[in-house]
Amino acid sequence: MLRVVDLAVGYGQEPVIEGVSLEVASGKFVSLVGPSGSGKTSILRAVSGLLKPVSGHVELNGASDSLGFLFQDDALLPWRTARENVALGLRIRKYSKDAAQTEADAWLARLGLDGFGARFPHELSGGQRKRVAIAQILALKPKLLLMDEPFASLDAIVRTRITQELLNWVEREHLSVLLVTHDLEEALTVSDTVYLLSQGPRARVLASYDVAIPRPRDIFASRKHTSFAPLLERLWHDMSDTMGSAEFEARR
Amino acid sequence: MSGYLKNIAVRRVLSLLVLVSVWEIMSRMGLINPFYAPAPSEVLRVVVSLFVEGTIFRHLEATFAAALAGLIIGLGLGIFLGFAAALISWVADVLEPIMLLLNAIPRVILAPLFVIWLGIEIPSKVALAVVLVAVLIFFAVYNGIKDVNQLLVDRVRTLGGGRMDLLREVYIPSVTAWVLGSLKVAVGFAFTGACVGEFVAATRGLGYLLQFAQSTYNAALTMGLIFLIMAFVLVLFFCAEAIERRLLRWRYRGSSEKTA
Repeated sequence: MLRVVDLAVGYGQEPVIEGVSLEVASGKFVSLVGPSGSGKTSILRAVSGLLKPVSGHVELNGASDSLGFLFQDDALLPWRTARENVALGLRIRKYSKDAAQTEADAWLARLGLDGFGARFPHELSGGQRKRVAIAQILALKPKLLLMDEPFASLDAIVRTRITQELLNWVEREHLSVLLVTHDLEEALTVSDTVYLLSQGPRARVLASYDVAIPRPRDIFASRKHTSFAPLLERLWHDMSDTMGSAEFEARR
Repeated sequence: MSGYLKNIAVRRVLSLLVLVSVWEIMSRMGLINPFYAPAPSEVLRVVVSLFVEGTIFRHLEATFAAALAGLIIGLGLGIFLGFAAALISWVADVLEPIMLLLNAIPRVILAPLFVIWLGIEIPSKVALAVVLVAVLIFFAVYNGIKDVNQLLVDRVRTLGGGRMDLLREVYIPSVTAWVLGSLKVAVGFAFTGACVGEFVAATRGLGYLLQFAQSTYNAALTMGLIFLIMAFVLVLFFCAEAIERRLLRWRYRGSSEKTA
């Protein structure tokens, strides 16, 4: 579905990431973890076309409109209602106003927001806004989902509930996902493969970990799987090592 | 405190009534020199006589015409130049220093120059109001576009939106919020331009009448005109606020129950 080959991305002179290669096979859930400043978000921005790579390339199997990007912030237009926000992508894709709004209402209902369509974003809770943002993306029926710590700002209960709902949806629709997260447990719970990035600048892929927990997954049951704890420990130690060596280099 | 006194509007009106009553009583008792501060009843009598005799109307017409024309032209010019500067870099290179200079100086000092160029009739007053309003609105639009939330731009782009989608969905609504936020100040600026222009040189207008009242040491007429101008600007101020609340209802509409 997606291949990132020898990617380098930078904002100034020094690249944030360099020589990064990774793959998201069709229907697979892949996570990127790494220390702060390791360029995880930059990889997603390069894949989505928001950022031009310095070198390397991104191969996307399918049209660019088969890609949906869920940001860390909900990024809803404050002057549009929930319904209009969900309909936005559909309107851009030349749906008629009525068709787009009907489709938007159906998506809001699917995400538990029936009756909230006429509200503006500031009239919704954080969890509700996040559901609107998810509806906005899923309404376009993407084949590949890019997610940049989309639920980090939510409280634990809402976060767990929305993560499980989205995971169910992804498994049912066989979507491919590239998730950026700081949370190692979350990464292992939802992913088929986890890539660990080194400390930036010039961050690169240090290792990848295959997660052998069967699907469909329940995010609580997954944590009790026999492979979960050893893999988490390995990932945690590898991550600590990369952060430790970076701190050591910084002091030197 | 009784129920209706908790209402802030009631408290404000009552405070004003108390202040005016004290002023009236002190004037009648001879504690205030009417040469400097005539009684409120005298000020009211002068204002009413201006309307009853009909002398005020030609002055009102001149001031309102200049202020409203200045407001409309200034809004149009400010929006056009703001968009041009934000979207075309060489226009910004040329306009930004001029606008910064015009913003830094008290722009009413241009009034005598406009009188020399455009004469003492309404066009010179309109020109001053235009300059006052256009500079304000230019920066509202220019900063509105420059400071647009980049996340919203990225959102529309990742949904497949092009330049026109960005303009329609992000830039225009964002700039509208900035412009409407400045509209109340712009109304005040437009009247400042008109009145100061009339103050400098004119044959009619509230500013002209004010200048006449001041030169004849007519404190009652001066105060009456000041209150009259304040009242008109206040009415327009509330109209501008009503327009802002209508067009920015997404910002003002109260939040209702929120659940997870």
